[in-house]
Amino acid sequence: MNSDGMDSIAAQPSWDRRVKNGEAAQRLLDGDAELMLRVREGDEACFTALLERHRNAVIHFLYRMVLNQAVAEELAQDVFLRVYRFRSNYEPTAKFTTWLFRIATHLGLNWIRDEWHEKTKESLDREQDGATRQVRDRSRTVEQEMVYQVRLREVRQAIENLPSKQRAAVVMHKYEELGYAEIANVLRCSESAVKSLLFRAYESLRMRLAHMA
Amino acid sequence: MGCWLNKSVAEELVVAYAARTLNADEEADFERHLENCDGCRELAAQQRAVWSVLEEWRPLPVSPDFDRKLAQRIAYTKPNGWWQNLFRTWGWRPLIPLAAACTGLAFAFLLKNDDGAGAPAPANQPGVRIEQQVEHALDDMDMLKQIGVDAAGAKPRSSQKI
Repeated sequence: MNSDGMDSIAAQPSWDRRVKNGEAAQRLLDGDAELMLRVREGDEACFTALLERHRNAVIHFLYRMVLNQAVAEELAQDVFLRVYRFRSNYEPTAKFTTWLFRIATHLGLNWIRDEWHEKTKESLDREQDGATRQVRDRSRTVEQEMVYQVRLREVRQAIENLPSKQRAAVVMHKYEELGYAEIANVLRCSESAVKSLLFRAYESLRMRLAHMA
Repeated sequence: MGCWLNKSVAEELVVAYAARTLNADEEADFERHLENCDGCRELAAQQRAVWSVLEEWRPLPVSPDFDRKLAQRIAYTKPNGWWQNLFRTWGWRPLIPLAAACTGLAFAFLLKNDDGAGAPAPANQPGVRIEQQVEHALDDMDMLKQIGVDAAGAKPRSSQKI
């Protein structure tokens, strides 16, 4: 790039940053597909790299879907196991993360459906289960911690009360920062259907949570 | 002042505004709209409140042995032999014609044994022996027919069936 080009980019810092972020994101996305293609060819180290890159996002997504950390980790293992098993069939036709979240959403929704009849019992267990309670922040006093746990319980209950597909859409939109198009690809529906799901979900959440602000 | 925005457009803008995904121009336009629209202003305030409340729900730390457990499960499910690799590559579908062929061969083998070369019928089952003799006789007559010998009084095969 010549110096004029550099100057004009330097004169537009926000555009520059956006372009750089976009390029970095593109490299990252291409990197995922590239890694997966190498996994397909038998390079196990690339699978470890993919795991390292997406492990937390998948576990956190599943945790917010099923509201149980142990189950979320178990399901996340299933997700990566499936990625590994189906590596030979992988074609980079869609973004790797779309494929990954599609598997995770499928497993999460199946789990929610299968556990529906035990939902009440699970909720009661969770109240007493220290493993699924948010880890205590030592900077808070005991009182602050209690208030925090009460607020957290309300948030969790509000999310839990959403229909499972709305829950998946909200978690992907709010916490994983996926766009409408990508959520639509994951859920295999139209973008307008995703918007409708999200707006209904946020409407329910506003009704339940707006007073907490 | 009434809102001139379509409901779904307003909702989309409110959600994007709370998520801070509008670009600078869009955000400025929407904020100008909020100054004049009570409904959207209230909706946007509620959505921002929900957004910040949802922020409080942070994920739990991942178990340190997650990777080890996953590696174990992968090792456990890894195919060991060439036939497992073949199965993994091609799936179970090619086995259908193979199974059909095996069944056909087994059936043919059983029929061949039944044709007479097989074990004689047990002595305590005279009915079976007679049936076999009748079948042999019919087969012989068919054979004679094929080579042009007229078997006198022989009826068509369909009516010979007992």
